[in-house]
Amino acid sequence: MTMTPQEVQQHFMAYLEATECTVIEKSPEHVTVKLSPQADKMLTNRPYYWGFVERTGAPAETLSFNFVFDPENYDERLAKTKEAEAKSQLAAPAQDPLLARFYGNAPVLPILGPGRIQRENIGYGSSRLAQIWNASREEGKCVYLFQQRDMEPRPRGRSTPYEQWLGVCFKVEFSCDLKREELFFLGISLSSRTIAQDFPACLEGRDLTPRLPESVHVRPAVLTLQQAAAALENHLIDKLSKLDYDWAAQARERLEEELLVIDGYYEDLLKEQDEEKKTLIEEQYKNRRSEMQWQYEPKVSLSVITCGLFHLCSPVSAPS
Amino acid sequence: MNQQPTADSGMIIDPRLPVPLQIDRSWLDDLTGRLDKGGPWGDYRLSRLALEGEKSRLVTSFEELQCLKHLGALSPLPHQTETARRVLFEMSGRAILADEVGLGKTIEAGLILKEYIVRGLVSKVLILVPASLVLQWVRELNSKFGIPAVAQKKAYSWGNDIVVASMDTAKRDPHQEILLNEEYDMLIIDEAHKLKNKKTSNYQFIQKLRKKYCLLLTATPVQNDLSELFNLITLLKPGQLGGQGQFAANFVVDKRKPKNQDQLKDELSKVMIRNRRGEGEVKFTKRTVRNVDLRLSPEEQSLYDGVTSFVKDQYQAAGGNLSSMLSLVTLQREVCSSRDAVFVTLVNLSKKLPEDSPLRDKIWELVYLIKAIKANTKAEKAIELIQQMNEKVIVFTEYRATQEYLLNYFRDHGLISVPYRGGMNRGKKDWMMDLFRGNAQVMIATEAGGEGINLQFCHHMINFDLPWNPMRVEQRIGRVHRLGQTNDVKIYNLSTSGTIEEHILNLLHEKINMFEMVIGGLDVILERFEKKESIEKSLYKIMLESGNDDEIRQRISTLGESIHHIKQDIELESTAGETLREEEA
Repeated sequence: MTMTPQEVQQHFMAYLEATECTVIEKSPEHVTVKLSPQADKMLTNRPYYWGFVERTGAPAETLSFNFVFDPENYDERLAKTKEAEAKSQLAAPAQDPLLARFYGNAPVLPILGPGRIQRENIGYGSSRLAQIWNASREEGKCVYLFQQRDMEPRPRGRSTPYEQWLGVCFKVEFSCDLKREELFFLGISLSSRTIAQDFPACLEGRDLTPRLPESVHVRPAVLTLQQAAAALENHLIDKLSKLDYDWAAQARERLEEELLVIDGYYEDLLKEQDEEKKTLIEEQYKNRRSEMQWQYEPKVSLSVITCGLFHLCSPVSAPS
Repeated sequence: MNQQPTADSGMIIDPRLPVPLQIDRSWLDDLTGRLDKGGPWGDYRLSRLALEGEKSRLVTSFEELQCLKHLGALSPLPHQTETARRVLFEMSGRAILADEVGLGKTIEAGLILKEYIVRGLVSKVLILVPASLVLQWVRELNSKFGIPAVAQKKAYSWGNDIVVASMDTAKRDPHQEILLNEEYDMLIIDEAHKLKNKKTSNYQFIQKLRKKYCLLLTATPVQNDLSELFNLITLLKPGQLGGQGQFAANFVVDKRKPKNQDQLKDELSKVMIRNRRGEGEVKFTKRTVRNVDLRLSPEEQSLYDGVTSFVKDQYQAAGGNLSSMLSLVTLQREVCSSRDAVFVTLVNLSKKLPEDSPLRDKIWELVYLIKAIKANTKAEKAIELIQQMNEKVIVFTEYRATQEYLLNYFRDHGLISVPYRGGMNRGKKDWMMDLFRGNAQVMIATEAGGEGINLQFCHHMINFDLPWNPMRVEQRIGRVHRLGQTNDVKIYNLSTSGTIEEHILNLLHEKINMFEMVIGGLDVILERFEKKESIEKSLYKIMLESGNDDEIRQRISTLGESIHHIKQDIELESTAGETLREEEA
């Protein structure tokens, strides 16, 4: 799956908005933005600067960027405005003869130092986008949310029951010398033990906020967090066991073949008489075998992208 | 990432799954910790954004190149993508990339590396290359692939995930020990033919390094001997061609001649990919060469004659001592370039002499000759050519003084030109490149080697004067005539008749035929030739020792012959070894 420049821009804007950056200028092709301290710390890799600011209490100066999502159209537009400007300003500044001697007929030096707004072209593969996703993952990995109730008036004194759900997005990696990945976003109710296969679908259409709404109560939990987590894990492994594992069998076959080849190769060499040489060869042989296992041995790993406790009021229709 | 499976790495055997399972449960501690402390809680918008990002990056298939969509500006050629695909999915990431020179082995290696990184199969990488290429590799990986590689500088640099270093540094203490204690997800070695001998310390060092995936890059997998190839493959996959004895018995007739070619080819195709020039989509545009013969103006000619007799006198006075005379031949070459160049050298020469040396007067006589020169024949011709072309041109000269002279001369004639030289720092070089890509019509360069000058957008080249080392001529041409050049390349050689330049051009053009020769191969020829003596030195000798023009002509012709023989030898061997190096179609 790849992304259009528009989608990339949407992701960028979502991040900039969530981290309260100040947008200076914006067009369909670009955005010029002054980062918030939060975003600056995550994106600009200036730990020493921020250490200095925090220790001395000096006013922080965050960096500004000009992120361009559609360089082609942006440059075209830029060139047009420049042309118009050039027309209005006929005489160009004369060349410095001294500089020209060393640099040839070079234009005037570019602007450097503070106040410079660095331009960056952002495409799907750019590291900046990956950085934004990683920063989001870091800062959004544990959430604690309540559903915003409908505005309809409730009888005074009667509080709404809320159900507490543990939602976890698992990333499953199937790897050997090759690799495939899958995401499973599961949810489990701490009060009813119900498991939702597609938790995001359950959240759809609900307004979630970090603030506790008025007059609500949370249904007592019958599961501890640890139990809930174990139940989810167990459920997931059950699901995984129903998948196809041909890939693993094939990887093991490849490994067997490779091992046969090196076994054959070292068989002769290990007949070496010289003890010293022989230990060296043995070591080499052992290393080579373990490298092969490292390379081919199939395995499955589970990790978590994001998790959280979700307090939902209306019943959750979860096909389990 | 991808630790080797050991007992303590958290592997669980679950009876429901046919493979070991690894579970990262740190999230639960994180969550309970926050619950205890009442926060801080993450932003839901960011959480969803992270999820979206993760979805878009998800590797959904075992066998499909993911890296291409991450590459932005770079669009690899079909043979490069195909090579990457085969290494990944058919060779399990251990291969020799043996494309002919100029087909982009670096790009292929970058693609493969990128793919493994995207898939999360590789994080710790070691890239060993010749010292002169370290920075180029770092830059290419950074700019073309967005791979955060760093050049090794100090011992602590090894701590970085992706390090580019020179083999010589890596194998020295204390570095070697650090590296041998590491485990590398991927090892890439450029110019791997240097590992042909298994008795060398380089070879043994590489054999000891712990690596999962491994790429060996070389344009010449077999230089002298079939056993070199056997050794290379043993580094990658010992036993692929049987043991040393079996290999010799099954596949070798003579050290340069294989037998059972089909079977050997079959075995090789499992570990080696060799794309060849002129196959498939890889087509280079043509080179056309025009030698522009010029006659020195009478003033220039008298300076040339003056310098020539000065050089001869000195050589005889020194009793044929060659080493101290080299700079004197340079004088002759410089006269053919510009009076500025020769002037600088003369002044430096006279400064080194004692005050009362009679030589000083001789030198001053020559300086007076310089003063008489009012115009530069070559520069006039160059401007004429450039104005005719009316397109971007790169002008190469050997001398800085000539470069400065031309900058001024061109400016006075209304041409915008920029300089480029080895001494400039990286930033300035890049800036000059940008200017040339933009407004400047001409770039005047004194340096062709090194990295970073890729001038595919320009297809005219003027050799204002010629280097005496054919490799450097090749480097000059290679800046313009490379993958991505869409036009035929036009090369103009300015040479002045009746001077040493004429002889050099004759050697390079007629004898070695180097301007029209396909790129590559030259290095091998020269390596063999220079076993005796460097070609530049041989030329200097000829120039100094010969009594007259005829003798020069004759001796250069002999030299050309011997190069020609080496070339033929190599061609013969390579047709014999061809089937061996060749990949199945």
